[in-house]
Amino acid sequence: MAPPLLSVEGLQVQFHTRDGIVRAVDGVDYSVGRGETLGIVGESGSGKTVSSLALLRLVPPPARIAAGRVMFEGEDLLAKPERELGAIRGRRIAMVFQNPATSLNPIYSIGSQLGEILRWHEKLDRAAAEARILSLLDLVGITDPATRLRQYPHELSGGMKQRIGIARALLCNPALLLADEPTTALDVTIQAQILDLLADLRQRLGMAMVLVTHDMGVVARMADRITVMYAGRVCETASAATLFSAPRHPYTRALLESMPRIDHRYTGPRQLLPTIAGRPPGLLNPPAGCRFAARCPEAMAECRTTLPVETVVAPGHSVSCIRHGSQGIAA
Amino acid sequence: MGMLNYIARRLLFSLALLLGVSVILFALINAIGNPIEILLAERPGVTEEIIQSVSQYYGLDGSVTDRYFTWLGNLLRLDFGTSIIYNQPVGDMLWTFGLETLKIQIPGILLALALAVGASVLAATRQYSRIDFGVISGAMLGHSLPGFFFGIILILIFSYWLGWLPSYGAYSTRNLLWDSELADGLWHMVLPVGMLAFFNTATLTLLLRSSLVDVLRQDYITAARASGLPERRVVMGHALRNAVIPVLTYLGILFGLMLGTAPVTETVFTWPGLGALYIMAIQQLDYPLIMGETMIITVMLVGATLLTDIAYVAIDPRIRLG
Repeated sequence: MAPPLLSVEGLQVQFHTRDGIVRAVDGVDYSVGRGETLGIVGESGSGKTVSSLALLRLVPPPARIAAGRVMFEGEDLLAKPERELGAIRGRRIAMVFQNPATSLNPIYSIGSQLGEILRWHEKLDRAAAEARILSLLDLVGITDPATRLRQYPHELSGGMKQRIGIARALLCNPALLLADEPTTALDVTIQAQILDLLADLRQRLGMAMVLVTHDMGVVARMADRITVMYAGRVCETASAATLFSAPRHPYTRALLESMPRIDHRYTGPRQLLPTIAGRPPGLLNPPAGCRFAARCPEAMAECRTTLPVETVVAPGHSVSCIRHGSQGIAA
Repeated sequence: MGMLNYIARRLLFSLALLLGVSVILFALINAIGNPIEILLAERPGVTEEIIQSVSQYYGLDGSVTDRYFTWLGNLLRLDFGTSIIYNQPVGDMLWTFGLETLKIQIPGILLALALAVGASVLAATRQYSRIDFGVISGAMLGHSLPGFFFGIILILIFSYWLGWLPSYGAYSTRNLLWDSELADGLWHMVLPVGMLAFFNTATLTLLLRSSLVDVLRQDYITAARASGLPERRVVMGHALRNAVIPVLTYLGILFGLMLGTAPVTETVFTWPGLGALYIMAIQQLDYPLIMGETMIITVMLVGATLLTDIAYVAIDPRIRLG
């Protein structure tokens, strides 16, 4: 089997604060094959955004990448000199950001900010860069691209800005697209359009994609495989079909149960949607054992003292839960 | 069309503003009373007739409105009248002394801007580091110390102890440095420019650093980095230009109030500029000079505000001309 395009091993990102070290990402592993879409799902604060920024060493201070390897096309991105990493950022791995309103520079025209990137990486002259940008704007479904080139971000709608953000990411034909909640800031109809666009582009261009989101609906629609994160660690990774039909980790199951389903009647006097009681642990001094133990309906005494290790339970399906076949290390 | 139209409208508005200022200024000066009476009263041998004839000589005997329109008409022809103390045309004095003031103020502000950009970039890109802390502390200190205090320290060190630089005046009265007027002039400029640059840098750095820290946190900066642009371009091209926008207003005020703040600097260094002249004019109640200089200060302030607004439009595409 060929090595995956991207493999993240033991990634740790820590925030050094006055009160101590916050372990925002604490030993995360996942991999993405060529042309594959991996969905990373988790709630706010689960470390999904920080871990994707860490791939390109873009975590903002005071965050620090404390350990791990990010193997991409046979090289460890975390060990590369800054200058060489610059040739990968935006060229081999590109990002689409959550908020299109703030991820474009307000004082440069669309043409000039996209052109700058293209000229930097590809050494194209002005005319060639403009031709490439026009064809990309057309590809991402922007009407009248020639006019948009001269416009500024504030003159465009949110959906249009996100399309431009996507076009920016595609400028140099990257092998991997990191999309961090690309639809969260958009309204529902635009969300659907952007997701369709991403799915279509991925197929046409043969890109791999890491799609970070808190929205199960989005990953169900887009991802080949899904990684579920909780409190800075991976709970479960499986193919999309398996994860939805046979989830094993109690957190994954609870998450799925708390999604409203159109084909399900909720029982009980008020027909309430099930929720997960409690809140995620603080990551300043995370609990010794399983991070989910305090909220887990299946937790036993051992869960609070043993750190589960991600273990393959079936082909392509791995889980971090000692109740469901994982190894553990006594903490 | 937008820009020219905008400038034309702003110019008209500025003219109206100047006219308003001229009315207020004239009314205030006249509220003091007849300056000739004040200057000459109770001197031995001064009779009512003398006061009247001198007043007549200076055109102070007409009605207030008549005098206002005469003054305004003369102003429009750039005739500021004659100084009653120095007996020279006020216009010529303003020009001569004004050049001396600009000679230290403009280099002072430009030098401060350059230093502030350097210090802010250094500090903001290393937020919470020792360098950042050092820059903030230095800027705070400079911002809090009164400007003249630093001027006096400069004089103490470089003139009194070391004897390297002159502490007063714009030119040597004899024995020019290297027998060159240019070298001598520059030599005299060093300390006053240094003092102006010092406290202007301090305030500009405080403003620019915090603005830059804020901009560097924006998504579009992370996006620029994620696009592979080198850090230098991200900071200087993408961040700094955005960070300068809120600082423009202050820069405009600095240029506009150049003459308003000049008295302090020029008193410390006995500099023959408009600031020193203004103080003397007020002390001696040389009212044509007071009015002429106040009008010049107003024109500078209004002009600087206009330039600031134009700079905003040029730098920030979000600002609409309306």
